[in-house]
Amino acid sequence: MWLNVAMRLSLILASIGLFVMPGFLISASFPFWQEQGLKPLVGAEWFPYEGLFGMLPALVGTLWSVGLALVIAVPMAVAAAIMTSEMAGKKQRNLIRFGMELLSGIPSVVYGLIGLWLLLPWLQSSFNLLSGHSLLAAGILLSLMVLPTIMVMAEDAISGVALEQREAAANLGLDWSDRLFLVLLPQAWPGIRAGILLASGRALGETIAVMLVVGSMDRIPDPLYNLLEPAQTLTSRIGREIGEAAFGSIHFSALIACGFILAIISVILSLVAHTNQRVRV
Amino acid sequence: MSRFSRSFWTRVLILVLAAPAIIFPAGCLFYIIMQGIGAWEWSMFSIGGNQKSFGMSSGIWPQITGSLILMLGANMLALPVATGLALYHQLSATTRQRILMQVLLQLMQGIPPIVYGLCGLVVLVYMMHWGVSVLAGQVILAVVILPLLVLNTVHAIERVDRGRTEAAKSLGLSHTAIIRRVWLPETWPALLTGLLLGMARALSETAPILFTATVFSGVVWPDSLFSPVTSLQSHIFYLAQEGGNDQARGMAWVSAIILITLISTLSIAATMLRRMEVTHEHRF
Repeated sequence: MWLNVAMRLSLILASIGLFVMPGFLISASFPFWQEQGLKPLVGAEWFPYEGLFGMLPALVGTLWSVGLALVIAVPMAVAAAIMTSEMAGKKQRNLIRFGMELLSGIPSVVYGLIGLWLLLPWLQSSFNLLSGHSLLAAGILLSLMVLPTIMVMAEDAISGVALEQREAAANLGLDWSDRLFLVLLPQAWPGIRAGILLASGRALGETIAVMLVVGSMDRIPDPLYNLLEPAQTLTSRIGREIGEAAFGSIHFSALIACGFILAIISVILSLVAHTNQRVRV
Repeated sequence: MSRFSRSFWTRVLILVLAAPAIIFPAGCLFYIIMQGIGAWEWSMFSIGGNQKSFGMSSGIWPQITGSLILMLGANMLALPVATGLALYHQLSATTRQRILMQVLLQLMQGIPPIVYGLCGLVVLVYMMHWGVSVLAGQVILAVVILPLLVLNTVHAIERVDRGRTEAAKSLGLSHTAIIRRVWLPETWPALLTGLLLGMARALSETAPILFTATVFSGVVWPDSLFSPVTSLQSHIFYLAQEGGNDQARGMAWVSAIILITLISTLSIAATMLRRMEVTHEHRF
């Protein structure tokens, strides 16, 4: 009896939360959409005090930093996963796995410190930059942060390939590299893919570390592949400006709209990740 | 050249690619620890007297307790709701409801914490007039860790042998009895693991509490649930903003290793419990 009441109560509480959150996101960003329409999505100028709210620089910056993080992290993480699951002994495997779990526990603000006081000076001196604040710095830092996520999921996927498949491949006389590329990786791909999508969601929403190293300059990289200049991402903009925007102002509403866009992108990402998994399994 | 097969070169390639994946993160951890130890001063922990670091006359203790208050509060709020949801999922939900719950929880897990922070800012801080407060931070962190706790509990219960649950049901045991006599004895290590991971997660989140619960300094002990706190996470952030000053840097590194120590203690405990659960399962 009390059990049922308790279950219902938590269900009600959770569903209120579920409706309240998107509801308030929409209603708080509504004045902004009402005033600006969809124009900000393609606008390049962000000057809140002059009523200019172009989101393109932040969108481009977000895309670049996430893409860069994946390009750096995925090959390394998958290789490391192959190494631990196929080449290392059980003891080493446990050790590496343990290390990865420990690393994924390092809070983002600490990565931010490393970025700020180790990575930026290094970038500054090696590329002869003014400050080192750049999309490249954000990408490198994010790749460090998502590496454990991809690696742990890829390792699970690879070591989860059925023994029969492995034995069949070995009986066919395939050598090690053929077994890897023709059997193991294709079989493990859905899991690896889910790991990559999960990691891109994480990189997308990462705030503090990115905010400390990206430079927070609303400029579209010029030329588009110039990653060495200060830039802006959606999260770094929210983090930088939410403190100074007055509640109820159009600026505040614009920042909530940025959060709303973030939420939509991440929902799409996790839908893609999980749908694919379910179909394959 | 022909002495080495293709497989050999593939192995070499993989090792070369994998090496940085091990070396760089390990190097980072090492660097943090070295910096932290280098800057470590016991006076940072002395209560009263020492005015060296930004008016923090009581050392770093307010930050540590602030982090712990936020973390414990978040878990205390999330745990009952998570347990209720997981039990509903297992005991009363229809198949369609189960799938819906699972999908929604996974979506929730994918939404960036800063978005929860924004929602909390609008609803709790401004609309409900809680202001920048401990309670707002706790509620937001509770929402952030809720999906993790629910999914963990659901998976733990699903790992219980279905035959046992069916047997218990056919013996006419009530739901309460099934939970107490069948599920709890077998799942408690997994449940505890989930709780520890939730605690670790709550400690490592910075963005959602930065503008809803914490201030830089001036708070030693929050007077009520509606007053702001200081926390290790946000303290590190503010010090990083402070920049050049060596004192600030040292303090930031020391705060960082304290935070990492807290978090890894929790996650190591979780890993050990998980191992224990594995051996526990093998007994049957």
